[in-house]
Amino acid sequence: MAKEITGYVKLQVKGGQANPSPPVGPALGSKGLNIMEFCKQFNARTQEKMGQVVPVLITIYSDKSFDFVVKTPPAANMLIEAAKVKNGSAEPNRKKVGSVTWDQVKEIAEVKMPDLNAFKVESAMKMIAGTARSMGITVSGKAPWEG
Amino acid sequence: MQYLEFKISCLEEYREILISELAEVGFDSFLETDEGIDAYIAEDLFDREAYQAVIDQYVEAASILVKEGMMAKVNWNEEWEKHYDPISIGDEVYVRASFHAPKIGVKHEIVINPKMSFGTGHHATTYLMLSHQLNVDHQGKRVIDIGSGTGILAIMAFKLGAEQIEAFDIDDWCVDNGNENFELNDMHSVKMGLGTIREVNPQGQFDIVLANINKNVLLDEMEVYGTLVKSKGKLLLSGFYEHDIVDIENAAAKYGLDLQAKKTKDTWASLIFEKR
Repeated sequence: MAKEITGYVKLQVKGGQANPSPPVGPALGSKGLNIMEFCKQFNARTQEKMGQVVPVLITIYSDKSFDFVVKTPPAANMLIEAAKVKNGSAEPNRKKVGSVTWDQVKEIAEVKMPDLNAFKVESAMKMIAGTARSMGITVSGKAPWEG
Repeated sequence: MQYLEFKISCLEEYREILISELAEVGFDSFLETDEGIDAYIAEDLFDREAYQAVIDQYVEAASILVKEGMMAKVNWNEEWEKHYDPISIGDEVYVRASFHAPKIGVKHEIVINPKMSFGTGHHATTYLMLSHQLNVDHQGKRVIDIGSGTGILAIMAFKLGAEQIEAFDIDDWCVDNGNENFELNDMHSVKMGLGTIREVNPQGQFDIVLANINKNVLLDEMEVYGTLVKSKGKLLLSGFYEHDIVDIENAAAKYGLDLQAKKTKDTWASLIFEKR
C-alpha cells in the first residue's frame, strides 16, 4: 500500500550547504522528520550546485519518512548571471539594469522547462522574459516568433 | 546563537526574484509560504544595509510587507530524537539512545543522544563506516575522526581498543554533543575539537583516519588525509554515492592511497584505503 502523504514543504537552499538551522530545522523538525538525514541527502545530491540556490520540494509521509525532488535554480538567478548584473532594478519599468539575448532566454527556458507549466519552449521563453521584465532586464532583439 | 526571522509577503511573481537577491546578501535558505517567503539568517552574518537595499528596491513593485522576529538556536530535531529505534550493525554492535533499554550480551554497545548532530547509525554512511571499522584492527592504534558529528565513529574506535583518539567537527553544536556522547560511553580522556582539519592541524601521523563528510569536502581535503595516514595505515571514507567512487579513488591515488575495500548500501558508498 502506498504511504499516506501528510504534507509538503517547499524550501530553497544553497546547494551542498543545508544545515539544521532555520528554516530547514524548524520546518522539518516540527513535522518529526530527521533533519540530519535530510541535510546529508540534500548536500550529496546537490554537490554539483554548490552555493547556488536550489528549490526543493519535500513530501512528508505519515510514518515521518520523506522524499524530496530537487528543482531547477530560480530563473531570476540565471537571468542575473546571464545579464552579468549584480541585482535587478528598483523601477523595472523605467530603469533598466541590463539585457539578455533571446538565445540566452531560450537557454534558461530549456533548463527551466521541467519545472514550468509549459509544453513548448516558446511558452517557457515568454515566462522567462516576463521575469526579466519584472527585474528591469530587457531582452534585446526580436523574439524568434516575431520573424 | 540567534537567528533573525523575516516573514516576507510579496506578489507571487517576485518570490523567486527576492530569493535570488537575498541569497546574494548572505541568506542561504528560504521557506516558500502561501504569502511569499520566510527568510532566516544567523545574527552575526546579517548585513542590515544590504538587506534593506534589496527590500527597498522591490517594496512597491512586489507589494512587500515584512514581519521581523528572532529565533534562538534550539534542538529542532528533538521530535524525531524522542522516538527513533535503536540499531544493530551485524551481531556485534548495538547503537542506542539513553532512553532505550540496554541490550544484554552485545559485544559493543554505543550510547548516542544525537541532539541535532549527525551519526546515529541509521544513515547508510554511518552504518557502512561502523561495519568497515569492525574489519580494521584498532587495538592500541592512534585514530582521528574528522567531521565527527555525534562522535559515533570515534566511540566505535574506542570500543575496538584504540589507544589515542582525536575528533573534530566544524559545528560548535556538534562539539558539545560529541563531548556529551564521549562521557556517556566512558571516554573521559577524549575531547572533541572545533574546526576544519586545516584549522585544527593535528600533529603527527595516525594509524587510522576516519571521515564521513561529503564528496566536495573529501576531495578538497584528500591531500591532508594523505599526509595524516602512516605508511600501511588506513583511511576510511564515506558520505558519497556509489557513482562518486571513481572520483574519490582517483583523488586518493594521487596521495599514495590504494583502495582496499568497498561497501555500499542504498546507493551510498564507503571505502577503505591503505597508505603505500
